[in-house]
Amino acid sequence: MSEEMMEEGGGGVIKKFCYINRKAPYGTIYALESLEVVLIGAAFEQDVSVVFADDGIYQLTKGQDTAGIEMKNFSPTYRALEMYDVEKLYVEKESLEERGMTADDLIVPVEVLSSAQLQDLMEDQDVVLSF
Amino acid sequence: MATIDVAGNAVEVDEEGYLADRGDWNEEIATEMAKIDDCELSDNHWEVIKFLREYYEEYQIAPAVRVLTKAIGKKLGPDKGNSKYLYELFPYGPAKQACKYAGLPKPTGCV
Amino acid sequence: MKFGILVSEGPYTHQAADSAYLFTKAALEKGHEIYRIFFYHDGVNNGTRLTTPPQDERHIVNRWSELAEKHKLDLVVCVAAAQRRGIVDADEAKRNGKDGDNLAPGFRISGLGQLVEAGIQCERLVTFGD
Repeated sequence: MSEEMMEEGGGGVIKKFCYINRKAPYGTIYALESLEVVLIGAAFEQDVSVVFADDGIYQLTKGQDTAGIEMKNFSPTYRALEMYDVEKLYVEKESLEERGMTADDLIVPVEVLSSAQLQDLMEDQDVVLSF
Repeated sequence: MATIDVAGNAVEVDEEGYLADRGDWNEEIATEMAKIDDCELSDNHWEVIKFLREYYEEYQIAPAVRVLTKAIGKKLGPDKGNSKYLYELFPYGPAKQACKYAGLPKPTGCV
Repeated sequence: MKFGILVSEGPYTHQAADSAYLFTKAALEKGHEIYRIFFYHDGVNNGTRLTTPPQDERHIVNRWSELAEKHKLDLVVCVAAAQRRGIVDADEAKRNGKDGDNLAPGFRISGLGQLVEAGIQCERLVTFGD
């Protein structure tokens, strides 16, 4: 997931990008490949928000151990997002509650938003990518 | 598969000289890989290589160059936290060359 | 309007590839611009020229290649996703020591930056997938 110095393809335009993660981390590859887009996309210096909803909140749960399923535990990488200047992480309140979780169960600091607030956030975006 | 000779042991590497098995890594291998590129590893090189290994251990990714630059600056001072310094140390590019010596996964070339 | 297209699912398994193709064709017919079509996740399987469907079925890969040639489309397959799934061009094959390549005509392999850049450049980025 490393990359060489990349050119800016944006030509100075700053758009609002929103990445929505809805799936559990290991059942399918969407979570990992979404994270790869966020990391690469960070080089374009856009206004980025990352949302975790539904089973997507499991991507951020503490204490993941993947040894038994022979997959790489990529959850520590979410802690690197801050260094990539991706600082706006949102988690849906209802998704947490339905799963008996709170923000304390997550490996990174997030802002918890209600479904209605997320709706407003999404309304405001230029580009929404859902994984 | 190609191999490089490290103190009499054949270590498997891929087409571009990256370790076939990252678990094989040790400092002698890094030194030998650098020698193949006509590069003698100084303390300044090792500082970056060790930083990369720690970064990978902590975050499970190799940092983007600009992230590496910023993080090195924070840890080792602004005279080292700039791309000129890093490219002087690793002329083939810190992402490629330093990551190779550090035994990090080969970059996908994802730009 | 200037559109970017993201195809996130593989051909035949999922309708996303068909819908993306039909949308692209319709948009072009109406005079819109298709800036880029980006293939991600299993969508990269849209770009293997080794695909051989039964003769009485649509040929999804050839259909893309033909459309690309006709309209000079930019069909981009994500390199990281492609490496995982065994989609390689001649350069990638060499770089990774593979004995063959299978990228279909009209496609090119490049990085995820191409997807983000399409999001920046286009008025609409339309995703086809789940």
